[in-house]
Amino acid sequence: MKVAVVGKGGSGKTTTAAVLARTLARRGVPTLALDCDTNPNLGLSLGFGEERTESLIAVRDAVDEGDQEHAGSAEELLARFAIEGPDGVRLAVVSAIQNPEPGCP
Amino acid sequence: MRVAFVGKGGAGKSSIAGVFARMLARQGARVLALDSDPMPGLAYSLGVPSQDAGIPADAVEEYEDDDGRRRYRLRSGLDPSAAIERYSTVSPDGVRFLQLGKARGVKGENSLSHQAYQLIVDSLSSDDWSVVGDLPGGTRQAFFGWGRFAQTVLVVAEPTPASVLTARRLARLALHSSAPRVLAVANKTRGEADVRYVERGTGLPVAGSVPYDETQRDADRRGVALLDLDADTPLVAAVASLVSSLSAEEALR
Repeated sequence: MKVAVVGKGGSGKTTTAAVLARTLARRGVPTLALDCDTNPNLGLSLGFGEERTESLIAVRDAVDEGDQEHAGSAEELLARFAIEGPDGVRLAVVSAIQNPEPGCP
Repeated sequence: MRVAFVGKGGAGKSSIAGVFARMLARQGARVLALDSDPMPGLAYSLGVPSQDAGIPADAVEEYEDDDGRRRYRLRSGLDPSAAIERYSTVSPDGVRFLQLGKARGVKGENSLSHQAYQLIVDSLSSDDWSVVGDLPGGTRQAFFGWGRFAQTVLVVAEPTPASVLTARRLARLALHSSAPRVLAVANKTRGEADVRYVERGTGLPVAGSVPYDETQRDADRRGVALLDLDADTPLVAAVASLVSSLSAEEALR
């Protein structure tokens, strides 16, 4: 099963995604939670805590900076970037915008 | 006064920005309210029926600069004030409302509208306009300079971990050169402890605290501006006080 949760700000996307992910995991389904928000907060709702949520390196950023070769397999990318949390859910962040980039509208 | 509201999605940026713009206008300022969110929001809280009157692509024309690079300028005969006159709508209390235009389809080509919006906003003079901007939730637009018109960035934060985490990221706007002043606005508070939580969690000075307001929820459900539903609510009072304190401060500077 592959599900994407979308909607207006504040409508409950992250909360819904987190509960979906943990419910699936509790039913025994190996579950990957992908935070595709450039302001990633999904780790908080999944119960990873703030420190682990903030420690995640975004896959896209690592690729852009050359830390990571393109075309790694999904498993390789997850081994490098995903962390495991409550109920065994694995979490990876796709692309975070962490700092101001003036002059780049 | 030029302010930009930023914050996590759902923190209450648009709700506060709409009231802020109208209260500022009631004080006699000439106010331009800017909405660069590709999803609707500010029009509701201003009480403007127009949900999708973006700037058309033909507001700009392309030209080559001396080095042969492609650049854009407002089309000939269209100066920034004429552009505001033409592409903005008038909201209650006389606020001018200018929006980027809403997302259209999966691959809507709207880069020309974006160019036009930036050209107009960059040309605004503080002598002519007070500016109240409402940016989309998250860090993307804020970190890419969409709030650069602002002298003061107001980070709206609820007393929740995700909201203050987002606010702490946005506080980095103060770090680069030509940085604006960055302040927090605590929203949906229920008591002093919530205000202190936002202050501690964001690491920002708190310019104002806006109490949780049941009437705002009612206005959201009905799709009307809070000010037009009931002007005597905790949110309106708190935002009016924020407008007064920022105005008084600016008068001293």
